[in-house]
Amino acid sequence: MEPPRAPSCLPAVPNIRKVVVVGFDGLEPKLVERLIERGELPNMARLRQQGNFARLATTCPAQTPVAWSTFATGVNPGGHGIFDFIQRDPRTYMPQLALNRYQQTNPFLPPKAVNLRRGKTVWDALADHGLPSVVLRCPCTYPAGDVRGRLLSGMGVPDLRGGLGTSTFYTTAEGIKPREGEAVVRVVPDQHGNIATHLLGPLNGKTRRPAEFEIHVQAGQTPDRVVVRSTGEPRELELVEGRWSEWLKVKFKPGLLQSARGMVRFYLVRGKPLELYASPLNFDPQAPIFPISFPAEYAAELESRLGAYYTAGMIEDHAGLSNGRITEEAFLDQCGQVWRQREAMLFDELARLDEGLLFCLFDTPDRVQHMFWRFTEPDHPANQSAGLRAGFEGVIDEQYRRCDTLAGQVLDQADENTLVIAMSDHGFNSFRRGMHLNTWLHDQGLLAMKPNMRPGDEAGDFFHHVDWSRTKAYALGLGGVYLNLAGREAQGTVSADEAQPLKSQLARTLSGLVDPQTSRVAVRSALAREEVYRGPYTAEAPDLVVNFAEGYRCSWATTLGGVPQGHFEDNTRRWAGDHIIDPLLVPGVLLMNRPFRTKARLTDLAPTILAALGAPIPHAMEGEPLV
Amino acid sequence: MKVLVIGLDCAAPELLLGEPRLTNMRRLMEAGCHGRLESIIPPITVPAWMCMATSRDPGSLGVYGFRNRNDYSYDGLGIVNSRSIQDLAIWDQVAREGKRAHVVGVPPNYPPRKTSGVSIGCFLTPDTAERVYTHPASLADDVARLVGDYPVDVRGFRTPYKDWLKDEIYTMTRKHFEVLRHLARDTAWDYLQFVEIGLDRIQHGFWKYHDPEHRDYQPGNQYEQVIRDYYLYLDDEVGRLLELLDEETAVLVLSDHGAQRLDGGFCVNEWLFDQGDLALHRYPDQVTPVTGLEIDWGRTTAWSEGGYYARVFLNVKGREPQGIIDPADYEKVRDDLAVRLEATTDDAGRLMGTLVYKPQQLYREVKNVAPDLIVHFGGLYWRSVGGLGYRAFHVHENDTGPDDCNHAQFGAFILAAPGQAIHGEVKRASLLDMAPTLLELAGYDVPASMQGRSLAAAGPASMPVPSGVSEADEEIIRQRLSGLGYIG
Repeated sequence: MEPPRAPSCLPAVPNIRKVVVVGFDGLEPKLVERLIERGELPNMARLRQQGNFARLATTCPAQTPVAWSTFATGVNPGGHGIFDFIQRDPRTYMPQLALNRYQQTNPFLPPKAVNLRRGKTVWDALADHGLPSVVLRCPCTYPAGDVRGRLLSGMGVPDLRGGLGTSTFYTTAEGIKPREGEAVVRVVPDQHGNIATHLLGPLNGKTRRPAEFEIHVQAGQTPDRVVVRSTGEPRELELVEGRWSEWLKVKFKPGLLQSARGMVRFYLVRGKPLELYASPLNFDPQAPIFPISFPAEYAAELESRLGAYYTAGMIEDHAGLSNGRITEEAFLDQCGQVWRQREAMLFDELARLDEGLLFCLFDTPDRVQHMFWRFTEPDHPANQSAGLRAGFEGVIDEQYRRCDTLAGQVLDQADENTLVIAMSDHGFNSFRRGMHLNTWLHDQGLLAMKPNMRPGDEAGDFFHHVDWSRTKAYALGLGGVYLNLAGREAQGTVSADEAQPLKSQLARTLSGLVDPQTSRVAVRSALAREEVYRGPYTAEAPDLVVNFAEGYRCSWATTLGGVPQGHFEDNTRRWAGDHIIDPLLVPGVLLMNRPFRTKARLTDLAPTILAALGAPIPHAMEGEPLV
Repeated sequence: MKVLVIGLDCAAPELLLGEPRLTNMRRLMEAGCHGRLESIIPPITVPAWMCMATSRDPGSLGVYGFRNRNDYSYDGLGIVNSRSIQDLAIWDQVAREGKRAHVVGVPPNYPPRKTSGVSIGCFLTPDTAERVYTHPASLADDVARLVGDYPVDVRGFRTPYKDWLKDEIYTMTRKHFEVLRHLARDTAWDYLQFVEIGLDRIQHGFWKYHDPEHRDYQPGNQYEQVIRDYYLYLDDEVGRLLELLDEETAVLVLSDHGAQRLDGGFCVNEWLFDQGDLALHRYPDQVTPVTGLEIDWGRTTAWSEGGYYARVFLNVKGREPQGIIDPADYEKVRDDLAVRLEATTDDAGRLMGTLVYKPQQLYREVKNVAPDLIVHFGGLYWRSVGGLGYRAFHVHENDTGPDDCNHAQFGAFILAAPGQAIHGEVKRASLLDMAPTLLELAGYDVPASMQGRSLAAAGPASMPVPSGVSEADEEIIRQRLSGLGYIG
């Protein structure tokens, strides 16, 4: 164990025996301030009065898994190893999920899920001091490891198909192409109007085809109803147009000897001709194929106490809405259900909290803001294609009021021995323009295409037409630029001597870059990783981090190694709000029921919690107690 | 390619292959092939494991069970040890080709075989504290440092003290796997074979609590899950062992025979006495083992030894000291007795399905002193009780202590080797097929003495070496990132 450092000799905050942290993902301080002033957030105002309110400096980049990992460990990303949702394998230049991976030491072993978030968490440090923690849905807690207390994994838990959420759209129409994060199954009714089809399950390791689970869709009692029959539970499930169904629990046999249990909900868009949306398959909490809770049976216990609940890491069906398969109303309806499930979990645990830490994250505000930001900006480019239906302008404010009500309920239940913290990991902003970083690199002469290939849509993603032997830099993920470094990348061309000058040159050229169409600065700064990170995992970070200006982000195509035409494009998708810009522009929110110093950073939270409970602060933690 | 053989003595295919919660077994099955594995006749630990290792039948080894007649006298049976079988075993072939083979607990392995690697005694080791039970002898010090006292068996496993028995078995097995992990991780080896006897012991001790078909089974009894739990525990131990292997290791999990309920004991000598084959000077007043009987050899044509199966011996003139069967009549007498044995009935008077074998029909050679008939009473649902004085043919209490399981003719195997061509269920595999299969998979010569056939006769498939990233990989990557939202 590392020796505790100096601040640990501070006494515990008088009388604090419990710390309750309620996380609201993506709550934007400017909006909170405005709504408090308007009197719409009375409980947050109460918190501000009892304690304080602060803009909370977030991580670089300002992304949910990065930020909550820093919250959990009290270190910058260089100390916990989560730098982005996406990283790349330098041997193949291929993008991969950066939150966790599956490793298989030999062909006889089942793959093991490995959490890529490292560093020591605040709950581990509390455990060392003999104090328990309950951690609900913190990002990057999958697979669930040992905790002194209880843990339910959050963002990073896959769906049964192994992705973060693949939905299925069933339609009788021909030629419907799958969109983002979905599969399309064309169905053909028989002469009685009955449809035999299947759910798509996990891929078989050998054939790489998805396992199928047979379902039969038959006409219901009225034209706006259908019945799904299967060997799942329940055997018969009635679906009503415009409503989310109950859960259907199913069991797949992806291989001769394997089985995987999952659960799915349907949204019947139209009974006849059939248009049916099936949610991503969530792990069945009774038998998750990888650990999503500690103790392992906690996931199942929660179900028996509170009813079936979403287990996937990213729950809200934003892709269904993005793809135009479900309506805004359906999305919000689902968000409301997710919220209520989370609320039930929080209050269930709050009622039995005696000492230590209770953390619970509400992801929904982030997803709602991504999808409804455009309604607050009538001139947003997304509105030209998606259309601006009336009635959704107030959805985001409504989310904030919901957060406020919840914070009030927690505050009401907190006794004088409880430190209540309400916070967000980052703020929110508009996403109007995307920058094609790879194309820009190409035009700088740093990224080369194969002969006769030029940037453009046909170049596809995954760097399909990049000539690595002549490439010096490439971009991938949500704002990272990598050098094609000799000895590290498979076909590296940049020598160690060239690396620093090249990074400096890139940083200089990118900083202050102007979008010619708007004449506005699109990139506020680009920083070499050494300037941003320190700690044992810094070498895993992108070589440069691009900090975009308000309204900008790296483009959709950039994230997976695309090289489209032009340097900028309008963001025309329904996902029209985002926060992956210069972290200085998108701090989070911090409210506590005790006075605290307001120059607060995310790294201060773990030391604050430890100090409040009188536990030593591990040496590696970078922040300082705020209370 | 390295080879790891995990022997689970007595593992039943119904459980080993059929219990879906055995995730490591499932994984191996998915990676390779599996199936029921026909054991030898008789399906008994000794000589079954050596039949597996040498790929030779019991007659060719001249060993028919734990106890064998040393000669044609009436002096009873001698107990085998590791020196009883000198035939070329798979680990000898590995050594011949200059590689290191470890043999751990493969019975009989006392005195410990001097293999090219290390060797640890089996459950027949008399006393690990007093005797040299490892090769080299110094290995015992490493073992002691790792786990302290090293139990090779649970002495007195036929006991009414079930909680004690369970604890002892777990303690033993934990130590076995601890040592095994040490060997797998910290020593150099090319072939490592291990046999865990704990499964055999727990099934003999707890089968009636587990098997609804057992006549004494009571639903919801406190020991109902003991056997399944132990399989799950073994699966975990195997999983931990697999974690230590590199990609170039073939893994075989197998049992020497299966397990099934024991309906009771058939008192074979009572029956022979009743039939007039066995003559006594005096019927005993109390239950008396064969060795204590006052047999009137001058009027006896047949007697038997008990055990899981019966070894019936004929009293042949010129062969046995007081033999009375004319060698010319030997086959006639043997056939007649076989027919009568096959007609034996259970305690309800039903034909019990007794199987009677002549060694000469079973084996390629019949060495040493074989039984004249090998008898599986009731297809081994009945064990064979050798003693007399029961005044009954059927007993429900076992003569050697509580035991409610017998061996079954079919064990199970799971074989997973890198790049192997055979997948899925393999039918008609036999215990003798395992050694040639392993040798061929790992690139060794298969000695001519081996009688089984290699399942990998076609040779391992050449796996395509992936170059770069295929479209299928891209699809997997897309799948992994699907639904992230932030991406294109």
